Amino acid sequence: MFRRRLAGALAAGMAAAALLTGCGGGDAADGPVTLKVLTWEPGGTEYWKQVKTSFEAGHPDIKLEMQSVPFDKYPEVQGPYITSQSGPDVMANNAGLELFDRRGAYVPLGDKAAEITKDLVTYSGACEGFDTAKPCYGVPFSYQGNVLYYNKAVLTAAGLDPEQPPATWDEFGAACEAVKKAGKTCLALGLSGTFPAYWDFPEIARNYLTEDDVRALLAGKLSWKDPKLVAVLEKLAEITTKGWANKNAPSITMLPDGADIFQRGDAAFAGTIISDAVNWDAFGKALGDDKLGVTRWPAVDPAAPLAQKFSGIEGAVYGVTQWSQKKAAGLEFITWLAGKENGELWVKHAKGQPLNKNVDKALLPSSPAFQKIQELVAQPTLHAGVMLSGPEADALARGWQQVTLGQLTVDKWAEAMQQALERSPTKKQTK
Amino acid sequence: MNPRHSARIGRYLLTFALVVVAVAAVYPLLFTVVSSLKTQAGFAHDPLGLPAGITLENYLEAFRRMNMPRLLLNSLITTLGGLVLSVLAALLVAYAVTKLRFRGGKIVFLLIIVTLTIPSQAIIYPLYQTVLDLGMSGQYQGLILAYAAFGLPLGTYQLAGYFQQVPDELIEAARVDGAGHLTILFRLLAPIATPALAALAIFNFVWMWNDLLLPLVIMGGSDSKTLMVGVSLLSGQYDVSVPLVSAGLIVALLPVLVIYLVFQRQLVSGALAGSGK
Amino acid sequence: MTISTAPVSEPVAADTPPAPARRPPRPGRAREWWLGAALVLPALVLAVLFKLVPLVRGVVTSTESSSGFGGSEFAGADNYTRMFDDPMVLTSFRNALLVVATLPVWIVLPLVLALLIHQRSPGWKFFRAVYFVPYTIAPIVVGIMFRQILAPDGPLNALLRSVGLQPLAIEWLNGRYSALFSLVAVALWSFFGLGVMTYLAGLATIPEETLEAAYLDGAGFFRRLWSVVVPMLRPTVAYWSVLCASGVLIWLFPLIYALTQGGPGDATMLPEYLVFLTTFQFLDRGYGSAIGIALFVFVAVLSIFSVRHMFTEGTRKPR
Repeated sequence: MFRRRLAGALAAGMAAAALLTGCGGGDAADGPVTLKVLTWEPGGTEYWKQVKTSFEAGHPDIKLEMQSVPFDKYPEVQGPYITSQSGPDVMANNAGLELFDRRGAYVPLGDKAAEITKDLVTYSGACEGFDTAKPCYGVPFSYQGNVLYYNKAVLTAAGLDPEQPPATWDEFGAACEAVKKAGKTCLALGLSGTFPAYWDFPEIARNYLTEDDVRALLAGKLSWKDPKLVAVLEKLAEITTKGWANKNAPSITMLPDGADIFQRGDAAFAGTIISDAVNWDAFGKALGDDKLGVTRWPAVDPAAPLAQKFSGIEGAVYGVTQWSQKKAAGLEFITWLAGKENGELWVKHAKGQPLNKNVDKALLPSSPAFQKIQELVAQPTLHAGVMLSGPEADALARGWQQVTLGQLTVDKWAEAMQQALERSPTKKQTK
Repeated sequence: MNPRHSARIGRYLLTFALVVVAVAAVYPLLFTVVSSLKTQAGFAHDPLGLPAGITLENYLEAFRRMNMPRLLLNSLITTLGGLVLSVLAALLVAYAVTKLRFRGGKIVFLLIIVTLTIPSQAIIYPLYQTVLDLGMSGQYQGLILAYAAFGLPLGTYQLAGYFQQVPDELIEAARVDGAGHLTILFRLLAPIATPALAALAIFNFVWMWNDLLLPLVIMGGSDSKTLMVGVSLLSGQYDVSVPLVSAGLIVALLPVLVIYLVFQRQLVSGALAGSGK
Repeated sequence: MTISTAPVSEPVAADTPPAPARRPPRPGRAREWWLGAALVLPALVLAVLFKLVPLVRGVVTSTESSSGFGGSEFAGADNYTRMFDDPMVLTSFRNALLVVATLPVWIVLPLVLALLIHQRSPGWKFFRAVYFVPYTIAPIVVGIMFRQILAPDGPLNALLRSVGLQPLAIEWLNGRYSALFSLVAVALWSFFGLGVMTYLAGLATIPEETLEAAYLDGAGFFRRLWSVVVPMLRPTVAYWSVLCASGVLIWLFPLIYALTQGGPGDATMLPEYLVFLTTFQFLDRGYGSAIGIALFVFVAVLSIFSVRHMFTEGTRKPR
């Protein structure tokens, strides 16, 4: 009896719901195609306003409907779209493993990839296994990676030469001792979240891994108990156990807390990124362009094959979704994203590093730090950070926090990393 | 020392304690207001202190970036819709369960209050699928109904508890006077439950207004997104400006404070107006 | 006649009306049933569609093994057995128990404050308005602010040092237990105003004279609180306890997100945050659902008494 009542109630509810929605929707209007684009607005609101205006001006038959979601809530919105195979026509994901994990959502570009991306410096981060011969799922237009920014005034006050920042691990240690004596923090650091994995790990990893090792890391075939990776963890641990970083590093996040320590002039160094924010532009504004120096992270082993290279990664990759009814328009939009016009918008409004080779050089900023970054990025290699799965990135941060607080040894940390790798659903090795 | 004297000292001590708690309570609001008047560099320089100079740039920027009228409208429609619907549904259930001869009422009541223990994080995916199946993704009614469902168990429980205390003769008497069920519910019982209704209104308004989970999952990034989603959009992937977010939050907070000030009066006054005293 | 929320068996409630006689059976029972069914229909539809159906679907997902966004296959109870070998899951539930152990503070503190305000002590209107403010402040700001306040050289420790409490000036967010309890303290601070408001609403239903008589008997404040006010306020205390017991873990979520992200290590990891991490960062939907269902069972067991109480409270006929 009760069940029948329940079923009746359900049916009534459904009917009411159907009635309510009946009047909504209605897609089949003539006129321009409306493209729904899911984005977290990398580069900022202003840049995306420009994208919409410029693209629509050149393509009167396509309207863009931006669905902006805050970056840290993006997975919660995107996840359900992907599992239900419904939603926007164009979506974004970060290049590397994040994109590969979601490749089922995107239409591979196929033969068109080479044509669309012909003017880009690199686009392998949008392709399976970083191999442009394999399927590529979208189009990047920005370049990202990590450098070490430094405050020349703090180095000078510590009796160091601001034009000769430390280039090796030992020099860096000596510099940190000097900075500490002068009463400042050496390296501004926050160990919460995924920043340690994406911002610090690749910089140390470059001293121990080859490009093949990095690909093995992506495939889940390199064990965390491998001496090379244990050595990376040991060096990361040194940064905090030797007291080079701020005391509250284990409990703060790099953004905004860690970066703020550097911005207010309380730290000599900060390892952050080249595009978007907390970069040469933001720090230059806070400290003065002439006070801001930039260098590669110090090399543990300067002779290592990748030690003097730049771990670069394409920024957000935009792809057309499998379920879109407007795939042609979607393709047109992402093709435009890779082009010169958008590259110039990116430089101008997002203060970012463009991927398009043809961007007018006159548009590039004159900041000395930016010019120095141009030298650094000229020698690119793979970025080990974006090869880490979610569980690995999480375990890296938590392990580092505990090692810093003396609750964990580096060996146990390596074990935890290996367990995280084995738990990772997307790197599961088929038995 | 006589007891009266010590009672007075106790009273001073208690007032002092109240003041201490009050200071701790207003501090975050002050922090938010002060932060919103700092520049980004000024905040980085001294997060907790007073600003060297006051800037309104963050407010201007917040208004530039957010489509404020639309966001405000979205939030008002969904929050008020969810609030009214959940309280209304709860009133009806509470009446049916406590004041009607209604077999099966207990099971319905249990079913509704048990849903209180379902953690929202655990049901996001299936919730979205369900909203999608109903064709309500990105629609006001999807969010309104979800809000109403999430606000329902507590409202039902609280109102049922109030109604239960009302003697049945009071209702019989009203019946004899010719009052119908709806008259009894809205003219007799609802006024008795005024403090509970006010508390429910405030509680529901605040969480619905501030919620991010349901609007994000149901509205996605569409034009129907709520004000709080708009505020969280003020920080980017790498670009977290506390002053800017603070300015957005202060704007988003104003309606909440208005609602609170309007309803808090009902919390303590007029409580017994309808009790037939 | 007065309406009192007091249970009639309490001695203080001497002025409650005599127990009404049962209503004589009337005709039109069937009509009344249909009316009742119509009245509960909207609520029932809401609860089923937006809570129960998703829950059942969640249970189904929890028995599937999914790899990222690829297809999923039936995995039986695998996801559940896996939890017992996962130290993170065990720690998160242990932390949840520690949080639950603080519930008495959550229940008593707002009650004391509400009573003080209710006694119309000087400036009570101001306090009443001000105590609610923290609840309205979004967690993101709370997180940023408290990371500054609780920093090793932050203002809290500066205050402690200046009043000679040097040993108490610890690295709050770095310690294994101090991090968790700092988080709980921040959460309590965020939510106590809601409790004060709830209690004030409850106090409003108690006739002034009853309360005044109780206040005048000269007993100490806490004795009065315990023996007089709490019994009269029982429904409200119960309501707020239910709200806290079922809500405290959920309320902590945005604060964990904004303040500690579960760290350092797993010191502030709680099940609902682990559900979020597992589902959205680790892309393990099946396992995430299983932890979510385990959390549901945990909260349900925790609330079994409160739900039973709610049930009897809402369905019992007054004597």
